[in-house]
Amino acid sequence: MADAAINSHDHQDDRGFFTRWFMSTNHKDIGLLYLIVSAFVGLIAVFFTVLMRLELMDPGVQYMCLEGARFLGGDGPCTPNGHLWNVLITYHGVLMMFFVVIPALFGGFGNYFMPLQIGAPDMAFPRMNNLSFWLYVAGTSLGIASMFSPGGNDQLGSGVGWVLYPPLSTSESGMSMDLAIFAVHVSGASSILGAINMITTFLNMRAPGMTLFKVPLFSWSIFVTAWLILLALPVLAGAITMLLTDRNFGTTFFDPAGGGDPILYQHILWFFGHPEVYIVILPGFGLISHVIATFSRKPVFGYLPMVWAIIAIGALGFVVWAHHMYTVGMSLTQQSYFMLATMVIAVPTGIKIFSWIATMWGGSVEFRAPMLFAFGFLILFTMGGVTGIVLAQAGVDRAYHDTYYVVAHFHYTMSMGAAFTIFAGVYFYIGKMTGRQYPELPAKIHFWMFFIGVNLTFFPQHFLGRQGMPRRYIDYPEAFAYWNKISTYGALLSFASFILFFGIVFYTLFRGARITENNYWNEYADTLEWTLPSPPPEHTFEVLPKQEDWDKGHAH
Amino acid sequence: MEALERIAQGLFFTRSKMFLNHSPERHLLGKSIIPPPNFATHHMPYCWTSNDLNTRTVLTLWPHRSLPRRGFAAIILLAFALGTIPLYGLLGSVALWGILPFILIVVGALWWGLERSYRDGDILEDLCLDNTMLTLTHRPARGAVQQWDCNVYWARCELHAHGGPVPHYVTLTGNGRTVELGSFLSEDERKNLFSELNDFLCRYKPGC
Repeated sequence: MADAAINSHDHQDDRGFFTRWFMSTNHKDIGLLYLIVSAFVGLIAVFFTVLMRLELMDPGVQYMCLEGARFLGGDGPCTPNGHLWNVLITYHGVLMMFFVVIPALFGGFGNYFMPLQIGAPDMAFPRMNNLSFWLYVAGTSLGIASMFSPGGNDQLGSGVGWVLYPPLSTSESGMSMDLAIFAVHVSGASSILGAINMITTFLNMRAPGMTLFKVPLFSWSIFVTAWLILLALPVLAGAITMLLTDRNFGTTFFDPAGGGDPILYQHILWFFGHPEVYIVILPGFGLISHVIATFSRKPVFGYLPMVWAIIAIGALGFVVWAHHMYTVGMSLTQQSYFMLATMVIAVPTGIKIFSWIATMWGGSVEFRAPMLFAFGFLILFTMGGVTGIVLAQAGVDRAYHDTYYVVAHFHYTMSMGAAFTIFAGVYFYIGKMTGRQYPELPAKIHFWMFFIGVNLTFFPQHFLGRQGMPRRYIDYPEAFAYWNKISTYGALLSFASFILFFGIVFYTLFRGARITENNYWNEYADTLEWTLPSPPPEHTFEVLPKQEDWDKGHAH
Repeated sequence: MEALERIAQGLFFTRSKMFLNHSPERHLLGKSIIPPPNFATHHMPYCWTSNDLNTRTVLTLWPHRSLPRRGFAAIILLAFALGTIPLYGLLGSVALWGILPFILIVVGALWWGLERSYRDGDILEDLCLDNTMLTLTHRPARGAVQQWDCNVYWARCELHAHGGPVPHYVTLTGNGRTVELGSFLSEDERKNLFSELNDFLCRYKPGC
C-alpha cells in the first residue's frame, strides 16, 4: 500500500555534476544542454560563413588555395581550391539545417518550456529524451568527423551541397560522404524520437481543463513542428538510405544507367526539405507570440486564428515541395499547381504577421531586448516572405534559380527569421533559466549590430542575384565586386555581434543581477512557467497546477 | 472555424470518456471496456459507486490523462494518412520500398509511445466495502498491487493542508496504518474527495 508520507521533507537536489548533466532525464536540464551544444555548433557554422565571405570579399581567389588555405597570411601563387569552398558551403548548410536551429528551438526551448507551459511534470519519456540528446551529439560528431575524413578530389570532406543531390553525392569518393549520410541519419533518429516524445507529452499530459485550444501558442508551435518532423524525416531517412546503398551496394535507385532517376531524389529530398524549413521557423513563431504579447502588455490578438495558421502552414508545407525545382522539366500543369499552392502559404503567414501587429496596436510597447529582436524578426521575415512570393513564380524563377537572390531570400526567412527568434527567446527566458538577468544595454547593442550586420550582408545579395551572380561559386567576375564587398563587411559585423552575444551570456551567468521574482516581466507573461521561481526547481508541476494559474480567459 | 473547433472537441476534449480506460472491469476482464454505471456524467477522475448494489466497490480513483481514446485513434489515423502522402507519387517505383519502412516505423513508434504513456498513468485506487470490512487497493502502473484494510467503524480520514507530499493530502487511518488516497488528483479534487469520503465514513458510525 502507498503508505502516507506526512511531514516528509522537501526533495533535495543531491545529484552530482556528472549525473545531472550527462545522465540527465530532466527536461529542463536536457533543454539547457541542447541550447549549449547548438550554440557551439552554431559558432562553428557561423565561422564558416566568415571564411566564405572573406573569400568573396574581392574578385579572384585569395585565401582558399590548393597550396594551402591562407586565412592567416601567406604568399606565392594561389591555385583556387574549389573543393575547400564546396566543403564549406556543404557543412555550413548541413550544420545549420540539422544541428543548430532545430536543436536550439525544438530541442532547447521546446524541451524546457513546452512541459512547463502545459503543466506537465516532465516529458512523457524522460530517458528517451536523454537518448535524443546524445544521438544529436553523436550526429554532430559524425558530421564534423565527415569534414575531416578523406573525401572527393583527394581532399578532406565532401563538397556536394547540403541537399546531397545525386549523381554528385553518389560519385563523391572517400568515406566522408558516407559519414555525412550517417550524421543525418543519426540526427534524424534523434529528431524523430524527440518528436514522438513531444507529441505524447502534449497530447496526454496537459493539465486538467487545458483543452487543445487553451494551450499556449509556443506549445502549439512545438506540437505542429513535432508533426512535421514525424512526417518529413522518415522520408529523408529513406532517401539518404537509398543514396547509401547506391554508393556502397551497387543499387541504382538514382542512377539512370540502371533504370533509376536522379530527379526522383530531388522530389523526395524536397518533400522533406520544404517541411524542414517550417520545422526551423515554426517554434520561433510561437516564441515571438509570447514576446510580443508581453512587451505590448496585451493578450495576443486572435489566438484561435494564430493556432489554425500554424496548423495550416504545417499542412501546406507538405504540398509545395517542387517549387525548389522548377527547372528540372516539369509539365506546365505541375508548375502551375506548385506555384499556386506556394502562394497560398502567404495567407496563414499573413494572418500571423497581422495578428502580431494587431497585438501591438494600442498596446504599451516596451523596447526591451527580446522585443527588439521580435521587431527585427517581424520586419526581416516579412521581407523574406515577399521575395518568396517573387520566387514562387515559375517563370520568374527561371531567371532567379540558383542565384544569390535565392540565397538572400532563404537567409532572410530562415537565418534571420530563426536567429532573431532564438535571440529573442534567449533574452526573454535567460532570467527564468539561470536566475540571473542579462544586461540590457549590451543586449541592445547586440541587437543593433546584428540587425545592421545581417541586412548589410544579405540585402545586397538581392542585387547580386538580379544581376545574375550564381550561388555556390568560389569566384565571380569583376562586375559583382561592389556589393560583394559590402556583403562581407556585413558578415564581419554580424560575426562580431555573435561573439558579443556569447560575452553577454557568460556575463549573465556569472555577473548578471539575481532575479528574485517568479515573473520578472509583467502580467502579460501569463503562461505557467512564470508561476515558477527563477530558475525553476528540479521538479516542477508534480502537483497538478490549478486552472486559475494558467487560464486567464483572455489569451485563449 | 467554430465547426472545426467543435469537431476537434469531439475528438480531444471529452475528458469523461477517459473512464473507459480505467473502468474497474477492464482490470478484471482484461480488455473489456464496459463503462461503469454513471460514467457519462463524470467530470472528476474519481467516481463513487456506493449506491450501486451490484458492486462492493464504493470508490474508484485514477489519474488525469488529457488524451481520450478517440483522440488516440484520430492521431494514429492522421499520422498514417499523412504519412502515405509521399508514397502515392512513388507507386510503381522501386523507391517506394526505400521510404515505406521508415513511415511504418514512425507510425508504429507513435502508437507505442502513446500506449506507453497511457500505461504510465494506469494507476487505479479502489475502495471496497464488504460487509464491515473496508479495503483500499492501490494498483500502480508497474509493480505489485498494495492493499490496506480496516473495519469501517474504525477507519478515519484526514486532510493535511500542509506537510504532505502534496497540499491537501488525503489519508485514511486504521488498523495501525496510515495510507494515502488520490494523491494524483488535483488540489480541488482532493478537497472535494475528502469531504465526500468523510460523509461516506460517517454513515457507518453512530452519532456522527
